[in-house]
Amino acid sequence: MANLLEELEEQIEGAKRPAGWENVGVIREIGDGVAKIEGLTDAMLNEMIDLGHGITGLALNLEETEVGVIILGDYTRLEEGDEVRTTGKLLEVPVGKGLLGRVVNTLGEPIDGKGPIQSDVAYPVEKMAPGIIRRQSVSQPVQTGIMSIDAMIPIGRGQRELIIGDRSTGKTTICIDTIINQARLNKAAEAAGDKSYRPLYCIYVAIGQKQSTIARIIATLDEAGAMPYTIFVVASASDSATNQYLAPYAGAAMGEWFMDNGMDALIVYDDLSKHAVAYRQVSLVLKRPSGREAYPGDVFYLHSRLLERAARVGEKYGNGSLTALPIIETQEGDVSAYIPTNVISITDGQIYLESDLFYQGMRPAISVGLSVSRVGSAAQLKAMKQVAGQLKGDLAQFRELAAFAQFGSDLDAKTQAQIDRGKRIMEVFKQPQYNPVPVEVQVAVLWAVQNGYVDQVPVERVKEFQTKLTDFLTTRRGELLAQIGKEKALSDTLKSGLKAATDEFAQTWKATSAR
Amino acid sequence: MISNKQAQREAKQLFRFCMKGQMLDENRIRQVVRYVIAAGHRGGPAILARLLRLVRLDRAEHTASVESATPLPADLQAAIQAGLTHTYGSGLTTTFAQRTSLIGGVRIQVGADVYDGSILARLAALERSF
Repeated sequence: MANLLEELEEQIEGAKRPAGWENVGVIREIGDGVAKIEGLTDAMLNEMIDLGHGITGLALNLEETEVGVIILGDYTRLEEGDEVRTTGKLLEVPVGKGLLGRVVNTLGEPIDGKGPIQSDVAYPVEKMAPGIIRRQSVSQPVQTGIMSIDAMIPIGRGQRELIIGDRSTGKTTICIDTIINQARLNKAAEAAGDKSYRPLYCIYVAIGQKQSTIARIIATLDEAGAMPYTIFVVASASDSATNQYLAPYAGAAMGEWFMDNGMDALIVYDDLSKHAVAYRQVSLVLKRPSGREAYPGDVFYLHSRLLERAARVGEKYGNGSLTALPIIETQEGDVSAYIPTNVISITDGQIYLESDLFYQGMRPAISVGLSVSRVGSAAQLKAMKQVAGQLKGDLAQFRELAAFAQFGSDLDAKTQAQIDRGKRIMEVFKQPQYNPVPVEVQVAVLWAVQNGYVDQVPVERVKEFQTKLTDFLTTRRGELLAQIGKEKALSDTLKSGLKAATDEFAQTWKATSAR
Repeated sequence: MISNKQAQREAKQLFRFCMKGQMLDENRIRQVVRYVIAAGHRGGPAILARLLRLVRLDRAEHTASVESATPLPADLQAAIQAGLTHTYGSGLTTTFAQRTSLIGGVRIQVGADVYDGSILARLAALERSF
């Protein structure tokens, strides 16, 4: 037996590559961030290629006589005829809590001037999504702090909810608000020493955006104190198409680390339209066959494999989650274009933002009719379900009746009441940006709406009523709000507490209004 | 004119026609080139350019270039040649050359495979590690 083992060991030893072995190639063509390399006969798909001068490439096209490599760095320093070599490694990025509060590029290198990243773990950028056995249903909520979303289009941890709309309709703002709200909740739980609360860490991936916009978002998050819970991955408009193509995968790898380690993370891809455009550019330069709108044939897989990485894994596998909020920019409200329909079909629902609503002053400009959350209701708080159950139906009816009412003024009392209620609900859902509302306040306000306290308030004063009611509840009935937050459901005691508080406020409001 | 893809396809067909087992038949490729030139086909130059590239790549795959800082003794040359034949099969043309910039050790290249045991390579690896 000992002889056999020795013999096998000797054979295995002999089979190893000799020291100093390398697989090399020569750059034959270079341009637009892509190089064609002759040689590299042992290159693997997605393998990192050492291009010299400290520049790395990624092997994407393995052809009979050459390898197509996308360059991750300054390709102008490379020349035709330069020798390159395989590394035997797949593209990896650093992951871990050391990245929180940092701004990094596609390769996970810091670009915020705050020194090196403290991380000794790396994850491959391209990774298979968790399989069906590892997954479990979405059951915990992501509180966005935006009333209309939390009430009508709830998002659960591990869900993929698309945010779609034309330019300048507030898509990014919704994500920023959500990140700010997570930071607020995380901080509050830390301060209260609440061990049962699972903090939600955020990753924001900026793809093809202007540097000025990115700087503004970072400043906003910094100002709101959200940066310590956020990782910022930047592939701006001035970065190469290859970096823009890889950035979401790098961000997903960073998020997966949290999920694999039993934590919860939320990732924002801002935006996947530009990501598809970057991939189209890379594919065309690599001379891959193009299809509809010149996108390559695998543009669906580009996004499906990315979004499939968002999941909620089972208790046995750590109980972590990665929630994805991809953003898609439409042109002239056309949701039936190629990329929007692809992403709509992949995600678990969409929040559709309308330009018309935005310019009518309805902000966030969420179109209730076209927005849906397919799995989030399972994760919605019971208290919210109790007060918001009817809202979506009420609003849908309102929109239908409002359109009908334009043709005539003779309306019966019931129709008029429905229209009035709808108008008031729309007013309640108006919310300034970067100002997330705690869920207990949302519940209390919606309870007041549901129970007709707002019906007597003139539409133009609904917002004032809501603000004052919120102030009253937070300053004078703090314990009631805390109880709602704790119980997460409206018991009879809580309902009578809410009734007493709202009655008291309504009397004060009436007295002040009468003056 | 013919398209790049067509030229590539035809060059590949001609190249395969010139293969004898795993090896390129030199006489056949010479004949093919002569024939294409004589035919005066409009796409001839494009096909020949691609054919030349395929022949160049094939030559590189079947050529072992052994470089050393100092000339290698005959017995060592024979041992290297035997080792390369064992790994890559017969039909490998081995050339030996002296390159003082290697400082010490041997560098062997067969197609895209490089076995670099030179001091220069180790210094370069050390530099990269910094």
